[in-house]
Amino acid sequence: MSIWSLIKITIFLWLIRKTAKLMAWLLLAAIAVAAWPVTLVMAAGYAAAWLRGWPAVRLRRAAAWALPAAVAWAAAEAALLRAIRPVALAPVQNWDNGWQHLTTVDVARTFALVAPVAVPAGLFLASLAWAWRIYAITTGLGGYTASAPIIFDARQWRRQVRTARGLTEAPGAVPLLARGARIPVGGTIRAVGHRWHPVFTLPASALGRHMVVVGATGCGKTNLMIRLWAGWFTAAMDTARTGRGKRPLLIVLDCKGGPDARVKAARTRRLLYGAGARRVAIWPDEAQLCLWDLPPHDLAVLLYQMIDSGTGAAAYYADVMQAVLILAVTAPTGPPVNTAGFLDRLEAGWLTRAWGGGRYPGQLDRVKAAGRHLPDIQLRFATLLARLGPALDGPGTLADADAWYFILEGTSERSVAEAQAMAITELAAHAAASRSAEPRSILLAADDYSAVSGRVPLSNLYERGRSLGMGVQVSAQSWQGLGLNDDERHRITATADGGIFVMTTPYPEPLAALAGTRRVLETAHKLVGNAWGDEGTTREQRAWTADPDIIRRLDVGQACYIHHGAATFVQVARPKPSPLTLLPPVAVTEPVAWVPEPRHEAEPATWPEAAGSLDDIFGPGGTR
Amino acid sequence: MTDLNPFEALGLPADPGLGDEQVRAAWRAIAAATHPDRGDGGDLARYTAASAAYAELRTAWGRSEAYADLTERASQTDGPITAPIPVILGAVLLPSASPWQPLLTLAQVPARIIRGRPLHLLLRAVIAAVLALVILQLIPGTAAAPADITGVLTWFVLTGHRNLAPRPER
Repeated sequence: MSIWSLIKITIFLWLIRKTAKLMAWLLLAAIAVAAWPVTLVMAAGYAAAWLRGWPAVRLRRAAAWALPAAVAWAAAEAALLRAIRPVALAPVQNWDNGWQHLTTVDVARTFALVAPVAVPAGLFLASLAWAWRIYAITTGLGGYTASAPIIFDARQWRRQVRTARGLTEAPGAVPLLARGARIPVGGTIRAVGHRWHPVFTLPASALGRHMVVVGATGCGKTNLMIRLWAGWFTAAMDTARTGRGKRPLLIVLDCKGGPDARVKAARTRRLLYGAGARRVAIWPDEAQLCLWDLPPHDLAVLLYQMIDSGTGAAAYYADVMQAVLILAVTAPTGPPVNTAGFLDRLEAGWLTRAWGGGRYPGQLDRVKAAGRHLPDIQLRFATLLARLGPALDGPGTLADADAWYFILEGTSERSVAEAQAMAITELAAHAAASRSAEPRSILLAADDYSAVSGRVPLSNLYERGRSLGMGVQVSAQSWQGLGLNDDERHRITATADGGIFVMTTPYPEPLAALAGTRRVLETAHKLVGNAWGDEGTTREQRAWTADPDIIRRLDVGQACYIHHGAATFVQVARPKPSPLTLLPPVAVTEPVAWVPEPRHEAEPATWPEAAGSLDDIFGPGGTR
Repeated sequence: MTDLNPFEALGLPADPGLGDEQVRAAWRAIAAATHPDRGDGGDLARYTAASAAYAELRTAWGRSEAYADLTERASQTDGPITAPIPVILGAVLLPSASPWQPLLTLAQVPARIIRGRPLHLLLRAVIAAVLALVILQLIPGTAAAPADITGVLTWFVLTGHRNLAPRPER
């Protein structure tokens, strides 16, 4: 074959290809013109999706919502014509009539006549066309330049954000609780792997498990957390009212403290009152708790853990202190009822009287052995309890309120806040495990827990909550804030079966990795000069489900929810109480802040002196 | 502390649109006049309040949050109790499963309109009404007319509910 023949065949084949393509386009154009009402709706739907950054499923749902009109039309037509065949042909008839007089009024009339069928059909076709466009661009099949996928994605992100923001501003779009006990979080920006809905919602049960929130300061973490608390509280209240669940108890540990914490507490309280709470206690400003209500053994362990005991040679002293605490708290007269009573017990005289009388020789020996250390131990606990302040000295129990907001000054007084956090966590655990108290559905939320995690690592708090059936929500400002080492951080995040919210943070990779990767297609084009040629290859690649670069660039109030190997980017809506809350003003018969009543420590009863040897009563013991 | 208006503490109008420089200038002026290291001893209370306010208002986000807090607070009665309740039907809480709940929900609609975005809703209603009139004018007596009006009503209901205030305790 000569070169000339080869050129001719090549040109001929090229012409055939181009002609076929042109014919296909012409045919499509002819159909589009002929079915102009459908084309009109399709174009409008496509343009709306493009401008508002909707996914194709949004158009499909709109098409589905247009079907009732089509059904109404079919029913009305059937009633008029009393036959099926004319009903099916009616839109065709109307369309045909529309071509006879192409005036504006007639065009509008024809459109109105065929709209019940044209709207759902047009929207459905628009969804297909838009889905194809997204597919073509993201896989590299569409677009005129190599940067088309990047530009398309960036533009769509901007539009998706704008749409989500618009939605969150509407008063009724993002209430505190939606149908099906779901908590609306905000407008969906983009869903990768999750089902797309205009408003992103979480099942309230997700907060009954474990959840992690990570975000830098000023990224809108507070709004997100308050919204989740209020949503969970509202859902739990609903469930309790219908007798299908327990009353909620929300426990919030604000571990940074400061003036901001007071503002947050006030906001949370307003919102919870709006959601139906009757009493929201803010600790330590307005309410108190009683540490001494803990079971004696737990109390002894807690008091021991609250003091820095050191290691090495100090271990000896720690053992002595632990023994003294057990003696003081488990004395036969019962546990101490307040700080003063507890400190009284750390005296040799009190302990000797309490364990004396000859019935507890072992304990009495321990009191004697620890005697010279008692003043030191008393001094240390006097100092610690004085620093902790009166807010843990009661009266008051967690059961007294629907929600507790604990403000721990973790920034200014870290060691005190750590001890307080330990005590409150212990009280919460006691409330969850207590068989005598009313069972409650408990959510323990720790905001910036890393500020107080020196004594009790976050992972311990987490595992404790899990074992007690409490929901635990923890927040940190960064991946590093979740634990001391990667092992601990992974332990926390890997068990967050309620999901992980990541807001803007400089190092999101470990969190984004939890969402895994997804399969994507990448097309490589052969370049001819500066333009794309006809040839190329497509291959399967792996891409982040939750893109860390997008997370890093998230704006204030935007979050990425990672759960079950999928991710949803959401514009969090500021939580607001409904202006229509029906609760009548609560008659405040008891103040929210309780004034502690003086409590008196009972002196240990002096044991009666034995009349003689115990052998006189029980008979002589056997020789050993 | 929660009742303090941070804008007031810095002598600024309560406006989320204030610039960083305006806030900083106000803070510097108050700090210079009230700092405890001044010869006259300054005004510690005012200095502390202004410091706290500046910490809260120094970023645009902080200003918008503080403004939102003020707005929310303004709509509440004093104290932690819920805002005054509009007198509407169903002032007694009913369990969600109550058979009267749908009726109560319906009775709340007027209050939800008033407390929501009534103008937006009105605009949608006007659009829906005009479209319905046009349809009735263009194709009276045809089967497509009620179908089109059904479509318009579906659109109005689906998009309009966002302009209603949330239901009580939602």
